[in-house]
Amino acid sequence: MSGVARPITLLIAALGGEGGGVLTNWIVRAAERQGLPVQSTSIPGVAQRTGATTYYVEIYPVPAAELNGRMPVLSLSPNAGDIDVLVASELLEAARAVAAGFVTKDRTRVMASTARQLLMPEKMAMGDGRLDGERLAKVVSDHARACWLFDMNSVAQAQGAMANAVMLGTLAALGDLPIPVETFEAAIRDDGKGVEANLRGFQAGLAAGRTPPADAKGEVKRPQAALAATQQLENEIAVAVPEAARAFAIEGVRRLARYQDAAYARRYLDRLGPVCHADAEAGAQGQLARECARHLALRMAYDDVIRVAAAKLDPERFARIAASTRLKPNETVAVYEVLAPGIEEICALLPPWLGRPLMRAAQRHGWLGRVHWAMNLNSTSITGYARLALLAKLKRLRPYGYRFAEEQRAIDGWLADVVAAASRSAALALEVVECARLIKGYGDTHHRGSDSFAAIKDRLIAPALTGRLAPAFATEAILNARVAALADPDGNRLAICLQAIDERRQAA
Amino acid sequence: MERSFKEEVRSLKLGAGEKFRGEGILAVTKALLQSGVSYVGGYQGAPVSHLLDVMVDAGDLLAELGVHVETCTNEASAAAMLGASINYPLRGAVTWKSIVGTNVAADALSNLASPGVIGGAMIVLGEDYGEGASVIQERSYAYAMKSGIWLIDPRPHLPSIVRAVEQGFELSEASHAPVMLELRIRGCHVTGEFIAKDNRRGTWSGIDKLGAPAPFNYDRLAHPPVTFAQERLKVEERLPAARDYIRSHGMNEMFDGDLAGIGIVTLGGLYNSVLRALERLGLADVFGESRVPIYCLNVAYPLLPDELTRFCAGKDAILVVEEGSPAYIEQQIATELRRADIQTRIHGKGLLPETGEYGSDALIRGLAGFVTQAAPSGVDGEALRARADALLAHRANAAKAIEALPPRPPTFCTGCPERPVFAALKIAQRDIGPAHIAADIGCHAFATFAPFSMGNSILGYGMSLASASAVAPNMERRPVAVMGDGGFWHNGIITGVTSTLFNNGDAVLVVMQNGYTSATGLQYMPSSKQSRTAGLPPISIEGTLRALGVKWLRKVRTYSVGTMVRTLKDALQSGQHGLKVIVADGECQLARQRRVRAEDAARLKSGQRVQRVRYGVDDEVCTGDHACMRLSGCPSLTLKPSSDPLRSDPVASVIDTCVGCGLCGEVAHAAVLCPSFYRTEVTANAGWLEQTRQRLRRRVIAWLGGAMPEARA
Repeated sequence: MSGVARPITLLIAALGGEGGGVLTNWIVRAAERQGLPVQSTSIPGVAQRTGATTYYVEIYPVPAAELNGRMPVLSLSPNAGDIDVLVASELLEAARAVAAGFVTKDRTRVMASTARQLLMPEKMAMGDGRLDGERLAKVVSDHARACWLFDMNSVAQAQGAMANAVMLGTLAALGDLPIPVETFEAAIRDDGKGVEANLRGFQAGLAAGRTPPADAKGEVKRPQAALAATQQLENEIAVAVPEAARAFAIEGVRRLARYQDAAYARRYLDRLGPVCHADAEAGAQGQLARECARHLALRMAYDDVIRVAAAKLDPERFARIAASTRLKPNETVAVYEVLAPGIEEICALLPPWLGRPLMRAAQRHGWLGRVHWAMNLNSTSITGYARLALLAKLKRLRPYGYRFAEEQRAIDGWLADVVAAASRSAALALEVVECARLIKGYGDTHHRGSDSFAAIKDRLIAPALTGRLAPAFATEAILNARVAALADPDGNRLAICLQAIDERRQAA
Repeated sequence: MERSFKEEVRSLKLGAGEKFRGEGILAVTKALLQSGVSYVGGYQGAPVSHLLDVMVDAGDLLAELGVHVETCTNEASAAAMLGASINYPLRGAVTWKSIVGTNVAADALSNLASPGVIGGAMIVLGEDYGEGASVIQERSYAYAMKSGIWLIDPRPHLPSIVRAVEQGFELSEASHAPVMLELRIRGCHVTGEFIAKDNRRGTWSGIDKLGAPAPFNYDRLAHPPVTFAQERLKVEERLPAARDYIRSHGMNEMFDGDLAGIGIVTLGGLYNSVLRALERLGLADVFGESRVPIYCLNVAYPLLPDELTRFCAGKDAILVVEEGSPAYIEQQIATELRRADIQTRIHGKGLLPETGEYGSDALIRGLAGFVTQAAPSGVDGEALRARADALLAHRANAAKAIEALPPRPPTFCTGCPERPVFAALKIAQRDIGPAHIAADIGCHAFATFAPFSMGNSILGYGMSLASASAVAPNMERRPVAVMGDGGFWHNGIITGVTSTLFNNGDAVLVVMQNGYTSATGLQYMPSSKQSRTAGLPPISIEGTLRALGVKWLRKVRTYSVGTMVRTLKDALQSGQHGLKVIVADGECQLARQRRVRAEDAARLKSGQRVQRVRYGVDDEVCTGDHACMRLSGCPSLTLKPSSDPLRSDPVASVIDTCVGCGLCGEVAHAAVLCPSFYRTEVTANAGWLEQTRQRLRRRVIAWLGGAMPEARA
């Protein structure tokens, strides 16, 4: 039973609602136009709503007319190890097909988009829960006979087309199916829906199947522009800060000069000095200074309504909004800022003698996170703009506010811990620095982060500094605790983790 | 529904000799018309929704043929429709998703099957089993056996499916029993072609109406004492008649092979999969020539003992291929062969898995195991085993190279009106503590997945409130039952609302009023604003609830998260005893977008004012804590790398697919999240007043030293 042609098998892995069904129909139609026996199946069901789904096509490479009335029995489901072409609209879905055994070195050509549609757990993680895209791509190309990867979404978007048309074009270009390019194009025309856009996408896909398009660059970082006020500080950085930490330190002084003033930037550099010294002492090769430069700048430029107001009115921001909304001439635009300042934001600006008791009262009465003023402020209206501009102008009053005092105290405490830890081990100090990552966000998130930070400080950092915990043990414990603190928003995992660390210490 | 099935309707009109191309379920629809049905009904559900959708769109064709189409409110009402064929020579068909639909229909089915029919009665079952299924995994087979309904399971090949429909009606009439035609998920969606016949008008129909009712005949009632006679009739007359028809029309197929000492008994629906596995093992070719003889049961119930014994006679061993448990067919075959004293060994479950769909690996393992065990002469057992092992190694090797990947379950669409309700429920529970949540069938069941992960039970379509009726009296806090408007009309109104009121129960019911049965493909239902019977006003859910006697009733726009949070808290904490109903009102966004996009495009073209609203996130304000994600899960709200050189965690980002539903802003307010969200309203073809205001704003803001978004020249 050899010597007889076998069906060509094609598996399409996609997300519901992406047009995988339409792509399948085009392929089936093209095969029909060639007179080839063809069959497709799918399992759309509920998965049409952005869930993972697959479509499966079998094409017999000999025209029905040449089979003397015999017809092949085509399979309804893909067989592991029996797939000629895998088309995937998303990288993880390509990897999923690999895991199911559908991609094999001996025969499978893979054509997949490098674009990721993140899963819920990836998005929900408090830190960075994203799967490693490069690893997924490697898994896919390692298992395939041949692999064609590019960002199909970007190519489609540039053409104002759907990604499925791009996929069809690339499929046609790669030539794994016994169907000429013109027939695929004809299938799009036969379909009669959105023909123009689909043909544009098809042509782009065709080109992308001949020479792989350069991957669109991810969002580029936007460093602070240079400013005269920090020139002197930057010269000092070039001398006093280890090379590894310089870029962050420069970013830090520029940011803080804008955030507050040159004196505040100077204060940043003064604070960084002892850490640079400790770095050298501990032989951390600049790594400690580098991470500290990063976190210190973020902590000193904490988020308050003044900074938010300034950020909202940044002309560059409005330029970005114009681009992302594809604003055309003669179109009017309004931007509404979704704000909900609460009692804390107000206390933050009050002098400490007033802010502190008010915050205590708010905590006692459970007003925090409850008492707030929800507003949609139109920053493109005259009054909305003026209100935000006024808030931004409060910058000069910031250093006299309650929160400023609180933050500086917390920062100094943290830095003292970092330097003290460095005298025990560089690794321990680095872990203490990294704990600053827990403190971010606003409102509830900020509270939870601060609570986690405080718990780690009391239970692990303090005992490590007094020598009750061995540096190596403490280093690992802090790392574990930090990961646990970022694992769930309720702090349950952190509590469990700290408990486990206590038990281990007692056992040891 | 908003989607049009014009293309599909055209293929229903094909005449004799023309080539039909399309999906399996559409082929069934065409075959019904070729069989001269007088009525069609059913309840939507994947994978058979299209049958009704297309029929509904085919108004003119059906009028021409005098076919009545009923979009029933549930499967019980669809099954009861077949009652028309008890007394009258009317052919009719109904459809639904099985097992769930068959469960709902069970009462009517029993009462239909007992008296039997004189007009052909067919139930088209979408057997929602295996990959892609959305319901509990049970076999419809049990219903066929217990009620005496014949179960057809044709090869998944369009000509076979069409023939099965046509013969099914004849079988039903020849044996006076209803028949079920079962198509698996892939069978419903398989594409192919067949040569069409002309559509036929039923002898009696909406055009040629019956002149008079049937004379009173107690024998046609499912009522004692005739039920006892009917039980006997089923076994003694209808069953033999059915077997005669199946045998004489060759509904089952036998394929010879040179390995005559063994054989495979397979259900028709699994034939292609079995063939492919044999082909990969080198025991068949791609054209269906198998070395192992195959007995293909296109009729799964009843079995034909004489055919079976003829196939098994002289064979050392057979393999029975049927998915799921119990192994009804294997058991029956064992009984028949024992009775006939045939010593053929029976393999089935054991070599093949007890549960789950038979994918390629299961069949290859099972078939290779069977042939090597039976060891017929002419097959190199060692070589076969090696070949199977090589085929089975693919998945195992892949599993070694890559860890189990996290699943990607379906979720609410971008802008879905139901998502905000669960965001509100999450916030409300955070404030006042958790409640027992009785979930239901419908899109809202996606709330059982992240980020909401809500729901303590699902007991069936429209059953949420009823499923909480014994929880409520045994728990300090009131339970919350969530139900869609689809589920409300499907049966929640009776099993849930009426029963709770009648028993003076105390619970909170949230009815998601999105205007369609959305999960099944946007079909209209009684409270839809529009319907296929244009001109009839929708049946109001609120009005119905008031009429039933619900006192505590609030209607809340779903996107108003703050109001919804307050309303939920009120309902959960109210001192007043009794049922509290919140109608969560918001049109299905999928339907809305389909309509609005077309309308906006037309308005834009004609120079009228069109506004595009969408949300955005300031990436320099977002600190990447992702609190918003945990309250939304919108596909358009995702992550991107931070633009801040000092930050490593990714930040929130709203992508182009945003429809500006407003949830991001509402959640940011209600849960007091960060100030990074903003809403943009871009207006094309703005009026003179708006344009002037814009110019004024630009000038003043520039004077204040600021800027506004400007179109790039």
